[in-house]
Amino acid sequence: MEKKYWNPYFGGVVLGTLLFLTFAIASQGFGASGTFSRSVAQFLVDTDKSWLQNAYVASYFKHSDNALFNWTVWETVGIFIGGFVSALLAGRFMLKPDKAPSYSVMKRFMWAFVGGAIVEFATRLTRGCTSGQGLDGMATFSVGAWIFMFSAFAGALILSPLFRKQWVEEKNEGDE
Amino acid sequence: MDLILPLFKNGFMSNEANMFFAVVLGFTFGFVLERTGFTRSQIIANTFYFKDIAVPKIMGVTVITTTTWFILFSYMGWLDMSQLFTPATYVWPYLVGGLLFGIGMVMAGYCPGTAVAGLGTGKSDALIFLAGLLAGAFVYMILYPYVADFASSSKLGVLKLHDLFGGNEYTSYILTVALETGIILFLMLLQKLTNKGEK
Repeated sequence: MEKKYWNPYFGGVVLGTLLFLTFAIASQGFGASGTFSRSVAQFLVDTDKSWLQNAYVASYFKHSDNALFNWTVWETVGIFIGGFVSALLAGRFMLKPDKAPSYSVMKRFMWAFVGGAIVEFATRLTRGCTSGQGLDGMATFSVGAWIFMFSAFAGALILSPLFRKQWVEEKNEGDE
Repeated sequence: MDLILPLFKNGFMSNEANMFFAVVLGFTFGFVLERTGFTRSQIIANTFYFKDIAVPKIMGVTVITTTTWFILFSYMGWLDMSQLFTPATYVWPYLVGGLLFGIGMVMAGYCPGTAVAGLGTGKSDALIFLAGLLAGAFVYMILYPYVADFASSSKLGVLKLHDLFGGNEYTSYILTVALETGIILFLMLLQKLTNKGEK
């Protein structure tokens, strides 16, 4: 039997307290996007050392010869396990894509891939995603986090009409 | 020496212990993301149509809660807020990067953290999204020689709200709480207007 999701205000208080604990212990907040560019950097250097001539790849090897020995990388492993355990306990673990029911799966996969590539490219410019900037940056009163969040919301709203069918199930009573 | 938070920066914890707690704290983060519905791209994307605004509500309340703890602990002398990692501000890269990020998000529904937790719940689109992230990082590295100058342009360093508007950390706190509350109320109004006459 599937449980209901938490009330958003309750969820926010829990998540906010966890984010505080994270800062209080690790001196930094949640993150995720860095894990993926670090993984790519490590893979490239393992394959061919000459990638170290790329200044961006090299920046991950300044403090350690392993780009994956990093707080955010280990935290990302935890996020995956946490999502898995919670879904199992709630009876929500299921192998399927998420979208409006009538939308094509292949198109959904295509946009997930293209959108993912754009998102990670963007986070290299913004030094973080909705966690590293949106939550951590806002919680530490950073001006940049607000610039990022407002402009991200604007970007999403501008293109939202094109992707409506993927996300919103229309009730077609009477119209069309 | 008095115990002052954060533990890691103030030398009360080894690097290895910090990595261990990274997994534990990540676990709790992923757990809560699942409990609140953040592991579903449809729920996240519905924010942009004002159909479901649980995501901005949770984000806003999270920031209010975290900053409240910061201010309390700092006031009591238990936390040194200057030791908390704060991302530097780069105006143009954040404006352009933010727009791109939003465009990617309305296509994909996920952001990196929610997709990792989403994969844990079995979402196949989250897996494809994560592959997309790797591809995006690769493209950035290849194009880095051409974007490096732009990426490090208009750097203002660590810039806090009270550096801009005057005052101190309390000013920033009050501004943050006011802004987050205002945004939540505004989105609730938009949700009401958008969904008028439906159902």
